[in-house]
Amino acid sequence: MSLRRTFEENPDRRYIMFGGKGGLGKTTFSAATAYWLATQGYKVLVFSVDPQASLSDIFQRDIFGKGAVEIMPNLYAQEIDADQRIKEYQNEIRAKILDMYGLEQVPEEIENYIQAAAAEPAMEESAIFDAVVDIVVSADYDYYIYDLVPLGHALYYLSMASVYDEWIDKITALRTEMEDYTKVAAVMQRKKESEEDAILRELQYIKERINKSSGILTDRQRTAFFFVVIPEEMAILDTKKAAGLFAKYDVPLCGYIVNRVIPESLGQQEIPEYLRHRLAMQKGHLATIDRELGKDVLGYIPEMERDITGLSMIEKMAHEMFGG
Amino acid sequence: MPEDEKERASFLDTAKSILYGMAGHDMSRYAMKTRGSMEHLFILITMGDLLGIPILPPYYSLRILPYVVPQISTWKRRMLRERDLTDALA
Repeated sequence: MSLRRTFEENPDRRYIMFGGKGGLGKTTFSAATAYWLATQGYKVLVFSVDPQASLSDIFQRDIFGKGAVEIMPNLYAQEIDADQRIKEYQNEIRAKILDMYGLEQVPEEIENYIQAAAAEPAMEESAIFDAVVDIVVSADYDYYIYDLVPLGHALYYLSMASVYDEWIDKITALRTEMEDYTKVAAVMQRKKESEEDAILRELQYIKERINKSSGILTDRQRTAFFFVVIPEEMAILDTKKAAGLFAKYDVPLCGYIVNRVIPESLGQQEIPEYLRHRLAMQKGHLATIDRELGKDVLGYIPEMERDITGLSMIEKMAHEMFGG
Repeated sequence: MPEDEKERASFLDTAKSILYGMAGHDMSRYAMKTRGSMEHLFILITMGDLLGIPILPPYYSLRILPYVVPQISTWKRRMLRERDLTDALA
């Protein structure tokens, strides 16, 4: 099965993700896939969930924190500025407090909490997570391509969805129980209907957003997750380990793409000993890949002669991945 | 409303109030007290960071912060208060 056929035979899969160790070519594949789909006439958004995003580099345009930027017809790219989003969010919370209680200034204790919360390590990821929900629920595009973070982070990102989900379930249950007590007291005191619990409403809103996001990540009909691997021992071992973990989170794994394959035809030419060794080593690892992942490999992409940046190189990459 | 009916209504009201005082008041007080405890538990699991107990995701707990602003100081007082034997009797 080729990568192209996977797309053609599963037209419902509109959320595309590439995962893998850092530096193996996730961003490159994301950009090239977005490029190919755009040339097929689909409206595509490729966006980065990595705080150290590199879409700006690959498209050679500064798109950081600028929303969805049109790169070429049908192709849009977006890098989320988590810091900016956190700042706006903090201000929103402050404004709400001032407005609700008619205050001139946020009480010191509360202000400290708002600032401390923003410094939490999980805050950045959470902000990006929330921004992604905004992006994917908008339904403005035919395809959404997630330029994912390296494996460890991606797992964290996925597990965050399930942790959030459980956390929210528990506190929503507690809140509902609290409502019951309020009602009992109100009935006994012969008061009219108790006022609606604004917090409960807020919790339900949060829950809905989390479910939407984690729902997409684990939706077999609409989501495709591809692993990027290179013919090197460590990469193969790590990828296999990660694939096992991802499967545990019910992520719909759709196959592997082997990147950076040194063309074997080089072997027939006059090449230095060093390169000959690398070719021999690669042959061994390719055999391992074929043996262990064989039927799920969707393509072998050759090592390019230069960096993949700019649209013409992306086009070349798309050609290697999807054919003409 | 004729005079005697009005009297009857006010008598009924008084009777209800007395009955409530005898039976219902304690129960509703208990319900409110339980709710108060739960409120504090709720703030603990959402705003635990305020006491230095990071419980869970700070991003979404900030959304809830505006609603619990008035309760925060009593909550902190209660959580950080020293406890003794008489607490068990309360």
